[in-house]
Amino acid sequence: MKSYLMLVHSYLKAHSKKTRLAVISVAMSVALVTGMFSMVDVFLRFEKLQVIYTYGNYHLAVKDASDEEASIIRNRIDVRNAGRWKDLGIGQINGADCRLGALDEVFAGNMNIEVLQGNFPREKNEVMLEKWAAERLFQGAETGNLVRIAFEDNTEKKFIVSGIYNDLGKMKAEGVPGVMMSASGTEGITDVRQNLFFVEFKSKVRINRAVAEIKGELDIADDRIGLNTHLLSVIGQSEHKAAVGLYTIGAVLFTLVLIAGVVMIYNTFNISVMERVRQFGLLRCVGASKAQIKRLVRKEGLAIALRAIPPGIALGMLMALVCSAILKFYNNTIFGEIPLFSISIAGILLGIAIGFLTVFMASLVPAKKAAGVSPVNAVSGSNEMKISKTVKKGFLSKLMRLEIAMGMNSAFMKKKTLFLMACSIALSIIMFLGFNVFIDFMHTSLKTTKPNTPDISLVSEKGMGEEIFERLSGLDGVKRIYGRKLAYVNASFDVSRLRETYKKSFGEIKTESNGLFVPPEKSWLISYDENQFRWAKPDLLEGELSAARMNEENGVIAVAQNLRNNITTETVGFKLGDKVYIDTPTGKKELTVMGILRQVPFNSQELTLTAFVVTEKVFSDTMGETGFKVIDIQLKNRKDERTVGILKSMAGDGINLLDVRQKNSEINQLFLTMAVFVYGFVAVIAIISILNIINTMNTSVVSKTRYLGVMRAIGMSGRQLNSMVLTEAATYSVIGSAAGAIIGSLLQKILIMNYLSSFNIKWRFPLFQIAIILVLVSTVTVFSVISPLKRIREKGITEIVNSL
Amino acid sequence: MEILRAENLSKTYGKGETRVEALKNASFSIEKGEFISIVGPSGSGKSTLLNLIGALDNPTSGKVFLNGRYIFDIKEEELAVFRRRNIGFVFQAYNLIPELNVEENIVLPLLLDYKKPDKEYIDELLNTLGLTERRHHLPNQLSGGQQQRVAIGRALAAKPAVILADEPTGNLDSRNSRDVIDLMKLSVDKYRQTLLMITHNENYAAYGDRVFRVEDGIVAELGGGVR
Ligand SMILES: Nc1ncnc2c1ncn2[C@@H]1O[C@H](COP(=O)(O)OP(=O)(O)O)[C@@H](O)[C@H]1O
Ligand SMILES: [Mg+2]
Repeated sequence: MKSYLMLVHSYLKAHSKKTRLAVISVAMSVALVTGMFSMVDVFLRFEKLQVIYTYGNYHLAVKDASDEEASIIRNRIDVRNAGRWKDLGIGQINGADCRLGALDEVFAGNMNIEVLQGNFPREKNEVMLEKWAAERLFQGAETGNLVRIAFEDNTEKKFIVSGIYNDLGKMKAEGVPGVMMSASGTEGITDVRQNLFFVEFKSKVRINRAVAEIKGELDIADDRIGLNTHLLSVIGQSEHKAAVGLYTIGAVLFTLVLIAGVVMIYNTFNISVMERVRQFGLLRCVGASKAQIKRLVRKEGLAIALRAIPPGIALGMLMALVCSAILKFYNNTIFGEIPLFSISIAGILLGIAIGFLTVFMASLVPAKKAAGVSPVNAVSGSNEMKISKTVKKGFLSKLMRLEIAMGMNSAFMKKKTLFLMACSIALSIIMFLGFNVFIDFMHTSLKTTKPNTPDISLVSEKGMGEEIFERLSGLDGVKRIYGRKLAYVNASFDVSRLRETYKKSFGEIKTESNGLFVPPEKSWLISYDENQFRWAKPDLLEGELSAARMNEENGVIAVAQNLRNNITTETVGFKLGDKVYIDTPTGKKELTVMGILRQVPFNSQELTLTAFVVTEKVFSDTMGETGFKVIDIQLKNRKDERTVGILKSMAGDGINLLDVRQKNSEINQLFLTMAVFVYGFVAVIAIISILNIINTMNTSVVSKTRYLGVMRAIGMSGRQLNSMVLTEAATYSVIGSAAGAIIGSLLQKILIMNYLSSFNIKWRFPLFQIAIILVLVSTVTVFSVISPLKRIREKGITEIVNSL
Repeated sequence: MEILRAENLSKTYGKGETRVEALKNASFSIEKGEFISIVGPSGSGKSTLLNLIGALDNPTSGKVFLNGRYIFDIKEEELAVFRRRNIGFVFQAYNLIPELNVEENIVLPLLLDYKKPDKEYIDELLNTLGLTERRHHLPNQLSGGQQQRVAIGRALAAKPAVILADEPTGNLDSRNSRDVIDLMKLSVDKYRQTLLMITHNENYAAYGDRVFRVEDGIVAELGGGVR
């Protein structure tokens, strides 16, 4: 041994088991911190591309910018790219509806417009068509073809197709294709729906400041300024209330992650503090100075940190890697520019910092203690426990079995250990509950496709008869078909059911002699089949969805929410058993409300009083035979173009085919990008927390080896030993879980109520989450205690106690 | 009445180069109420012998009968019960339970057996050990001598068949050592206990009714051959 500092290596080696536990604990915390921060970092990179793909790559949109304004903005030093977009409204191309617009060629890439064939339109008489429309609506129009376009003002002009561009999911789903004109082609047109000048700033530009500057210099009013809040949010520059709320939540939760990292390490170190007090005291006995002990401790901390940090960092990076891999595997076109191994320097640095800092902090405590107590005391092991000076009177409770009482006693006597243990568990739970807020946020702010989402819809104003339905059922590639009959009807009922706000918006609502009001608007009558009723179950607020009963008793299902001018409102408050009278060609038909649904998954084009859902039979009984207005089709294989081809051939002749597949997959993609990370966060927290509990419980049992040996020598049986140690562990878990559940729920509540209210998220007591937590924590506790205990029990008593 | 008998008790630790024959063919018999002192140089095998008698460890060969019961085939669960009823330990390092007060530490073996401690007996024991005033103190509030007295109380609490003490005075100064030995002697006489005590100090060995000397793993009785 060349220097006393070599003691460190001897000690770490001699106590390899304890050293390993300490190293694991540090590595776990480092992995947690590195993993979480790397994941946010990588998440923001992915989300940025995702947002650009979904909403376009622009930061600012100036409404009705003059050419002069546009040129000043375009020439600013902080602007990377800019371009003008004009929405010319709905037109007709070769007789079919289309959406007319014009976009500057330089900005096409920013808006994800990609020329697949031919050129971007440049001449006055050139247009570019969306691919699917070129194929389907214009029987394979190609570049160079002539098309006739009728504008909203009923003027008609001829154009040459200069190119074909990529499909846009939303347009495809609506069945109205986009037609892109050249900038010069729009010059004469005055009837412009919207005229936006899009601006993309260079990276690192303080966008809000630049926008303020532009507004000031050009004297542009607020209502002419639009920001791409989605993009600004993911690059951390949004001042929008919702985004700031999310930033705040992120800041709170990630601070929590840092604290948890510190507490987890500190906790493991604390458990073995006492032995270390003895070790350091021993060194003081043989003449080590306080300074030397401090140096020794620092060296030891360094040794542990050096061993723990690399694997911790690696593990943390692996977590981010898994997320990247999933997303890149799922969609490499959007995320192609992100490398699979995207490294987050910030995450790694934070992991290292937390690792080193905490190890030093945690190991300095025993050193201080050892320096504080007299060497003799430190060695003889008296003063082992800090116990309040008062004499302990409490006799082992006679209410509980001895081993239970002893387990609890030993947990409660070591206040600091109890506190740290409970804190460590509680923090895990608080983090888990806290990050669950993001899951709520994600589910309310982003939609995914539901079981009822169709791949293809056939829509017909005049209705489709049974024969079409039959032909569809005969198709091989079709998984499910379900149609809806729709009608706008005059429906009346007890006037008191109308909401006050609704009534007021009409001034006065007249009531007839029979007590029924005169409906100021029509109501929407919708037919469902069995499948659709089944899918509606989760939305059922009251009553039941029994087709048989509805058929028998002329039942109707009321729909609570009504979308009016893009705002969700409630116009009517029905009660079960209410009677509804519907005007039919043969007089009034009486229906009974048998259930209330929150909403239906589609919206009426017209404003309505309310919506009712009935069975197909009741619909026919009421309205006569009308045929289906909509038939939704789900394919066995979404990429089955052959079946889609057959469906296309059925369209035409008043039947419009809407291909919703691309839109669906874009919606799912948008959701997935966030879901991978949000669930990733929660999963990482759960895994690390579980490993942390296992590790600390292990440490706690291992550090008690000698104590347990003595108990066995005195005559404690294996079963008693098990219950004693389990009770102690359970005490930590129960207190930690209780504190965690309470504080975590409160945190959820505060975060949601203060920062997510703009997303219409309501806080509910997280009963289910807490149930999961309790099950997990208790299972983990039991398993993490039993195995080291078993190992100890299998050894001879003298072997573990060495000298009695 | 014979309470303890060892037959050809041997213990070998390790294998090959690290092989140590810690105990070689020890045979003896002890009557109820006897006080046996065990002496011998450090590393001679004294602790090994005591650990085997206390069923804390298994021998390489040989047998031990306690109260006529062969102790090495008792299963783990039953052994714990057997140990707390029949064997009391006093360790050099006291090994009290730090979270329990004096009285709780003493009655622990009874509580482990789910027995209600005989209050009078315990009071008397505390009195004999001079711990009445300290009954509610925690071990870390006591001196070494007091802690060892608590350990003696714990060994006596269940009125076991034998008490095994491994250098009970090893951590104590001479005054405290004498107190502890006196107390052990007193209790053994008073409660007619059987005691095997290892000691380093030849003076204390004289307290014993008989003295065993262990050297190089061989047990011999001083002033008479091994019986
Ligand atoms: N667990 C063990 N493993 C290996 N050798 C041991 C073990 N315990 C004791 N020994 C050895 O057995 C011999 C006797 O030890 P012990 O009975 O403790 O001696 P004493 O108590 O008389 O000082 C010593 O040489 C010691 O090194
Ligand atoms: Mg010894």
